[in-house]
Amino acid sequence: MTDDQRAAYLAGDDAAAHEPVALPASDVAALDDLRGLLADHALWAEPPAELGERVVAAVAAARENPATGPTPLHAVRRASHRRWIMLSAAAAVIIALALGVFFGTRTTSNPEKFAATLAATELQPNASGDVTLTKSTSGWRIELHADGLPRRDNGRYYEAWLKSADGVLVPVGTFNDGRDVTLWSAVSPADFTTFTITRQVVGAGEDSSGQVVLAGTTKRA
Amino acid sequence: MRAGAGRVLDVASGDAQLAADFAAGDPDSVRAVYESYGRLVYAVAYKVLGDSGLAEDATQQAFVQAWRSAHRFDPTQALGPWLATIARRAAIDIYRQSRRNRGHASLEAAEPLLASAPPSAEQIYEVWEVRRAVDSLPPDEAQLVRLQHFTGLTHSQIATRLGVPVGTVKSRTHRAHRRLVGLLDHLRAGGPGAPSREAGG
Repeated sequence: MTDDQRAAYLAGDDAAAHEPVALPASDVAALDDLRGLLADHALWAEPPAELGERVVAAVAAARENPATGPTPLHAVRRASHRRWIMLSAAAAVIIALALGVFFGTRTTSNPEKFAATLAATELQPNASGDVTLTKSTSGWRIELHADGLPRRDNGRYYEAWLKSADGVLVPVGTFNDGRDVTLWSAVSPADFTTFTITRQVVGAGEDSSGQVVLAGTTKRA
Repeated sequence: MRAGAGRVLDVASGDAQLAADFAAGDPDSVRAVYESYGRLVYAVAYKVLGDSGLAEDATQQAFVQAWRSAHRFDPTQALGPWLATIARRAAIDIYRQSRRNRGHASLEAAEPLLASAPPSAEQIYEVWEVRRAVDSLPPDEAQLVRLQHFTGLTHSQIATRLGVPVGTVKSRTHRAHRRLVGLLDHLRAGGPGAPSREAGG
């Protein structure tokens, strides 16, 4: 019995005391080869819980967008069926528009709305927020309420983005304090389904810094 | 060392069905594929990018690209290596986009910096395989491996943290290491850099 096994035995860990604790030489060599990999941060990195929903939503958005949609084999087989659906949908839209004009309903009492719950990233783990996007004649009005984001001033600020399934980013506004913000977007959250907020610095370019502090997937409200 | 004992080279039937659904472009299968491979895809993306936010973007992009390419996927093959290849490519795309902003990112010293160069396909394969092996360990053994190799704790420190005798830590670590060595035998044996057939994760 080794000292460690004896210590385990004396500590009351009988099972451990009778198991070997030394690896065979060949396994030691194998383990030495693995040490670098086992210490790699990537090996232990865990995706956030909501990423799965974002992935599902992104694929669904890609499926619904014919311009950027998939080209699976079944798409070919269903092309004819889809044409009929599209024709029917187009006819329905025309009829709806005609009825709208007929009844003079030029304003919409129930505007189209999307919403998203925003989840924090490792950069700002205590942050949280929600966002509502409402369609108007000017574009999409975005009402953002974020907590846990420290105010950024003196050339440092936050920027909000909408992103499509293709990864196309559209900036939708900048702000200093996220607690009560109104932003505007010219792209639809139906196509640009990922809402993110990044930390930015004046003079560092117009692209996203990639430093995402809040993110969420927009869904029809 | 044993020659890959216990390693399943054929695609499991469940994985084959999942692959077939995914190849048919079935959106409902996306969730199932993510549940099986999302963490692995994320690990690959993180390996390339070294940043959690960008790795999330890359993971999302990888699944969209995989779904779009599903008609080219052979369902008799394993999903894992195919997804790993797509994940690496998606992450490198995002890496290249982000590199243009690196000067920006470095303005704030506390921010995580991107890796200096994308890892090779072989490195990605190794991360993928080791991640799968660690995920297959019992949770208590995986925790010990993490505490020892990633956190860098000694057996005594682990024992203190977990409130168990040092001998227990050593015996469990021993079991975990033996299991890992067995599961990853093929890596030492100069395994394939891009295997075409393997078990699903």
